[in-house]
Order: sequence, then C-alpha cells, then structure tokens
Amino acid sequence: MKGKRVLIINRGEIAIRVAKALNELGLVSVGVWTDNETEPPHLEYCQEWVHLKGNNNKETYLDIPKIMKIIEDYKIDGVHPGYGFLSENREFSETLAKKGVTFIGPNPDAVYKMGAKDISKQIAKEAGVPVVPGSTGEVATIEEAIKIGNEIGYPVLLKAVAGGGGKGMRPCASDKEVKDNFAAVQREALSSFGYAGLLVEKYILNPHHIEVQILADKKGNVYHVFERECSVQRRHQKIIEEAPSPFIGADEAVRKDICETAVKCAKAVNYDSAGTVEFIMGEDKKFYFLEMNTRIQVEHPITEEITGVDLVANMIKVAFNEPLDFKSQDDIQIRGHAIELRICAEDPITMLPAPGKIVGFETTFPQGIRFDHCIFPKFTITPDFDPMIGKLIAKGFNREVALRKVRNALDGLIIDGIKTNIPLHKVILNEENFVKGKYSTAYIGTIKPQEKVAVKEDIEAFMLKIAGIELNQMGSQS
Amino acid sequence: MRYYFMNQEMEEFSIDVEVGLCKTFEFTHEGNKKSLQVRKLAGKHFYSFDGIAWKKLAALGVNEVLVSNSETYKVYRGYKPSGLNKSGAGALITQMPGKIVKLMKNVGDKVTKGETVLILEAMKMENEIKSGADGVIKTINIKEGQALEAGFLMVEIEE
Repeated sequence: MKGKRVLIINRGEIAIRVAKALNELGLVSVGVWTDNETEPPHLEYCQEWVHLKGNNNKETYLDIPKIMKIIEDYKIDGVHPGYGFLSENREFSETLAKKGVTFIGPNPDAVYKMGAKDISKQIAKEAGVPVVPGSTGEVATIEEAIKIGNEIGYPVLLKAVAGGGGKGMRPCASDKEVKDNFAAVQREALSSFGYAGLLVEKYILNPHHIEVQILADKKGNVYHVFERECSVQRRHQKIIEEAPSPFIGADEAVRKDICETAVKCAKAVNYDSAGTVEFIMGEDKKFYFLEMNTRIQVEHPITEEITGVDLVANMIKVAFNEPLDFKSQDDIQIRGHAIELRICAEDPITMLPAPGKIVGFETTFPQGIRFDHCIFPKFTITPDFDPMIGKLIAKGFNREVALRKVRNALDGLIIDGIKTNIPLHKVILNEENFVKGKYSTAYIGTIKPQEKVAVKEDIEAFMLKIAGIELNQMGSQS
Repeated sequence: MRYYFMNQEMEEFSIDVEVGLCKTFEFTHEGNKKSLQVRKLAGKHFYSFDGIAWKKLAALGVNEVLVSNSETYKVYRGYKPSGLNKSGAGALITQMPGKIVKLMKNVGDKVTKGETVLILEAMKMENEIKSGADGVIKTINIKEGQALEAGFLMVEIEE
C-alpha cells in the first residue's frame, strides 16, 4: 500500500482529515483546487496539488470525465471521495473499477443497492431488519396512498423516493390530508430530485435519529463501532451529535440489538468499507431501518474519540486489502463520551446560510478538544458550498465532562467577520433538556432561538472591533 | 475618531475612540467611558478592560462590514454617511450572493405583501423572496439562471 498515489476529490475539513490519514499511512495525498477557491486551506495537508479547472461543482467536483483525465495524467492509484459530491455515485465507482483504480469506499453494487430508498428498504426487510411500516414500493395514486394509510394507521409520512435532507416529505394525519398534500410532495420531489416517485410510511412521533458506524473489510468481516445520537437537527440536517446515545443510555440490550442489526444490514449487501446504518427510534425504543450511507460521515470523529478506532485510516487500509487495526468485535469498546458541534456560517437565529469573509480566528481550548476545520483568516465562504466550516469535538470521561469541556471550548472559539451558529450552540449547551440528554428530532423547534440568542453582542464587542481596526491602521502606517 | 455602525434596518449608533500611546484606547458610548489596553504576546494581540484579565483579540483590520451575532453592520470610520439610497419595502435586494432559480412575476403584475416574487438559490438552499409591500412590479433587473452578488437590486415594486 505504501507509496500509492491517492486523489482526494473533496475540499474543506474532510479533505484535510483524509490527507492526514493518507500521509500517516505512507501514501501520497493528492489534493485538488478549483477556480472559485482562491486559497483552499485543505491543500496545506496535501503532498501534491492538481488544478481541477472549472467554476462550478458540475465542472469540477462532479465532473467524472475530467476527474478520470487527472487520474490518468497524474498516475493515480486510488480515489477518496470524502462525503457529498461523488461519494455515493455508482457511475463513478464503476468507472474507477473498470480502469483498475481503487475507490476508497464500498463496491459499486453496495453503493447502488443502498442508494435507492425503496431497494434498500426491501433488502433490509429480507435480511430480517425492522423497517418503518409502509408501502413496499412507489405509490402512484392518491387512492393507493389512502389505502396504505388506513392499513398502517395514521399519521403517515408522504416522501420522495429519491429524497434526502428533509426535502420532499410531509406528514399527513388523515385521508383528507393525504389528498391535499399528494400532488405538492410530487412536485417538490420532481423539482428537488428530478424524480416524482413517492413512498408512504408510518410517521413516528418525537423520533430519535440514531445511527450505527460500520467498518468492514473485503474478506467478509463486518464490525460495528457503536452508535451515534444525531437528533439535534435543523431543516433535517444534523448540528449536534453525540456518542454513545444518551437516549439508549445504559440500556445495553437495546445497544447490542441495534448494533447487531446494523451489521446484518451491511452483510446483506456484502459491505466492504466504512459506512453508516441510520435508524429511527420511537419513544418506546423500537427502532426501524432508515437508510445506509455508503461513505465516511461528517460526524465520524465522535466514534473515533470514544473507541480509539481511526475510521478514515481503516477505510483506506481495507480499500487496499490491508488488515483492519483490530481482530474481533470485542476489541472495540466504548470509553467515555464525545460531543460534536457543527460550526456553520449561518445566522444563529434564522439558521439560514450567511456566506462572507473570515477576518479573525482564534482558539483557546481546554484539554480533550479536537477541532476538524478549514477556517483561517481571510478565507472566504462562498455560496457554492455547504455552510459547515468546522466540527468542534469534545471527549470526556462521561457526558457531564464532555459537556463541560465543549462549553469551555466554545467560549474560547472566536470566528470574526461572518455570522456563525456559535451563539445558538451556547444556548443549546445550557438548555435544561439538552443538558439532561432529553431531546428528540423535534428539539430545535422547541428552543425558540429568536427569544434566547441575543441579536446583538454587548457594546464591548464593538469596542474590540474598533481596536482591531485602529491597530491595523497603526500597522499599515509604520 | 468617531465610528458609526449601521444595520440593515438603517438603525445606527456611534462610539468615539481616542487612541493613546502604548496601544491604549479610550471609548465613549452614550456618555459612558471605558478604556481598553492591548498587548502583544507570542505574536498574538491580547486585550484587557481592567489591566488584570486578558483575552485574545481575534480580528485585526476588519472589513467595512461587521457581524454581531445575528446582525450585520456597516462600519464608517470618521464620517457619517449621507445620501444612502434608502431601500423601502418595495425594493428586493439580495442579502447574500446567489442564483435566480425562478422568477414568478412580470413587469406590471400586481403583488400583495408576503407573496413570493422569485426564488433565489444561495448555499445549496432555495429561498423564497417575498414582496415587502402591496403594489405593482415596476422593474425587473434579473433573469432566471443569473448569478448575483450581495446588495443587488433584483426587483422594484411600486406601492
């Protein structure tokens, strides 16, 4: 494996994370930069840099022929896709396979089977994994949707087959609501995903989003690396994750059950890389298969922190047929608790993206903090990419300690010049129910940030900024 | 030196500053005085309001735009702006760079307050841009697919 040349088709913090792992394993990390990233911070960690010409994602991070050309010209042996972009694209992994280039991810068949919601649900069902009761395939008409609604009982959720990120789904409590919403969800599905197919399933009240990390090799060994609780979400996107799940808590029987179920899912598609099986868990702790993400996930660090397993390095190793760092499931144990906050360039009250230019960045962190980020002064956050700019991860002996550390770290994290969700995180970390670990995916809707986050900082903050400008004036004169 | 801060609702306030020797700053805001010291240590700037407790100073040389939690301010050093074109409820201006996905109205169409006029995509999100007033579309300066900078006047509505 040593000396193999690996192209990272991604940017931001995940490109840095992957480059670090490649360098440490003795591989050559090859990073890319595009025309609308003038100073990409991720290149700092890449040993070689390649220009990926183009101004938008279609011409760059999603352009398979262009990427294949780079692979040929620069004699690339393997590709790490990170998350997003081409990470779960079957065509890309198949094209690489045909050229004999290693895709650092699962085999194309697993990507395909877990990529389509209706197929993955069918596979899970056949493997004996509980799925949310609902239609077995696409529902074409309102009448059919109503029939299923009466069979499984209301409330039900109408959702797009190709959906994700919270788009193209609506809960309905009666025949009438199904009738009223059906066409609207179809339209949303078509405009967001280019495909109007719909599913009907049972709507679970106050659900928890709990996922299990999987690590598998190419010899058929599939291991789980325990669960993550990802129920703090806005617009169906996660903003705070923790491991292990405070909702499962000390209920080891449930933990064992959900983790072993996830392994069953992965085995059903001959999974052979790092991946995540997502479940929805009701208030009764019954859980149902939601989907499998066939890539490394944003929130992987909390699992690494509580188990000591380097997921990214192991993912690279298995792709090149190297053995995993451990030999049995029992080698993996939970030690302590980890919390991750996603730091996003967005308004802390409206939670809408707020691009801009970072003018200042300073950290003063306690012991036990990991900050995976791509922030540096003068870095411009453009509207072309996701607003997430960093992940603040705290590990502690238990949840209380991890909370204490992450609160203190947040006070020592200063990002100046752009709006960030740091003030919102501060509110959540001191909110009674979050502190107790009592929250579901409905949580963000209950905390009313417009009442709790101060619109304006106190006057001292403005004085500091004046001092900054004046100091800069002095500097430029001397 | 007087600093003026103005938010998007055109609300403003000012802070006076006198810069002394050895990086000391005397601020006056609404009659209240406050002083600040800055020291450089290990390549970083630290500040103190009382000379005892010190913290890192993050930004040097801030843009003319300043962000405070959920508010964005324009900063004017030493002068008060005049003749700013005051945008009323009838002017739809981009708050962030983005791309026009869909334009729902034509010039001459009637709109009511809160009605969606266009859809702007910014940071992978579609935002419905709504009319801030009842009126008639007077001008449209955009077309579908167009990429825009922040502060661009997209549509004007005559009340």
